[in-house]
Amino acid sequence: VKAVWTGLAIVIALLLHTALSQIAPHQARVLDPFLLILVYCGLTGGETHGMLAGVAAGWVQDVHFGGTVVGFSGLAKLLVGFGVGVAAARFLLAGPVPRLLVLVVATLVDALLISRLAAVFDVATEELAPRALLARAVANALVGLLLFEFVDRRLRGERRT
Amino acid sequence: VAKVIDTRKGRLLLVALVFAHLVVISRQVDAPGGGATLLEHAIFVMFSPFQRLVAGGVHGIRSAWTGYVDLRGVREENRVLRDRLREVETLLQERQHAAGEAARLRVVLGLREVLPLETIVAEVVTRDAVPWFRSLTLDKGREDGVLLNAAVISPSGVVGRVVEVAPHAAKVQLLLDRNGAAGVVTERRRVTGVVMASPDAGTGDLVMKYVSALADVAVGDVVVTSGFDRIFPKGLVVGRIRSVGAPSGLFREVYVTPSARFDQLEQVLVLKGTTPEPAFDEAVQ
Repeated sequence: VKAVWTGLAIVIALLLHTALSQIAPHQARVLDPFLLILVYCGLTGGETHGMLAGVAAGWVQDVHFGGTVVGFSGLAKLLVGFGVGVAAARFLLAGPVPRLLVLVVATLVDALLISRLAAVFDVATEELAPRALLARAVANALVGLLLFEFVDRRLRGERRT
Repeated sequence: VAKVIDTRKGRLLLVALVFAHLVVISRQVDAPGGGATLLEHAIFVMFSPFQRLVAGGVHGIRSAWTGYVDLRGVREENRVLRDRLREVETLLQERQHAAGEAARLRVVLGLREVLPLETIVAEVVTRDAVPWFRSLTLDKGREDGVLLNAAVISPSGVVGRVVEVAPHAAKVQLLLDRNGAAGVVTERRRVTGVVMASPDAGTGDLVMKYVSALADVAVGDVVVTSGFDRIFPKGLVVGRIRSVGAPSGLFREVYVTPSARFDQLEQVLVLKGTTPEPAFDEAVQ
């Protein structure tokens, strides 16, 4: 059931990103809905769920929005998902402030990993300016926080009924 | 061993997945242009219909809204367009005269006729959604006649080349991508070079490399494709020279503002068939 919901969330992220890239291309480059999925999976489902969600989301992102060499986003998101899962098992990350922090750090680590991996494999990528990176982290953190809250409320409501 | 595997399942899976990724990436890097892996192709084929559906919905809503908004001010626009049409008609007569003269000269000089390009019109489904790479997804694919490495152009200029093809979708690497390039020549003095994305992040500029330090290039010169890369046919507009760098050794760098409006692309033209290879003496020249 978990895998089905994660798969569905990835498809929704893909469609959302597609629509956003049509309506507001600049904003689409700032927000990363695929990252939000793996962070949520890592926070609520642990390291294995986080990394598998990361691989799936990363590969879909790579294939549809990446360059000619695919797999950088998949590998970066695999490691980020694993890291979030490990952190969630060791620390209390249920509140809004810790989650905000996790989203910011996850965005920064994801960006750093992608650019470093590309450099290691000698694949040219566009350098992300610090301001753009910060904007990406803030956007992901804010949207992610609202989304996580919404999903948590829905799940709590379902459990009650 | 079974106990160790059971307790460290997550970490073992992580190591296996990291290793698999490194192998997959290395294989692609080792074989540039070798095409997509089976997994990449499967994901692209599986999800592109959903993307087309969403893009179609967005296009529909946008055109309905634009249609409504455009109704206002139509009379004024009509008047401006009629004036513009008169100007263009005059210009067309001059151009027809020049084209006729050029055709006559071509016959006299024994030059080859420029081949008309057969194209496929494609809608842009997604564009530039991640900051590291510059790419587009189109709603036309292999079954519509789109081929791998086909040149993609817009009415204003060269856009890029097809790097992945599914039955009804294709991924395009923009000329602005750091891994994209095109062989070019300046229209005025026929100075050759290669354009690629400018290393200055976010400028949206192209840089023309391998231009001789002695070459006669000037700001405002039009840069067109040379056809030597065998992807882009010769004569397609790439952009205009914005600035000319100081010579560094044998070469100088020339900055080019692209003609194509990459951030406003909605429809593009995909060239059908392969680009004719330039004749040897033409390439030497």
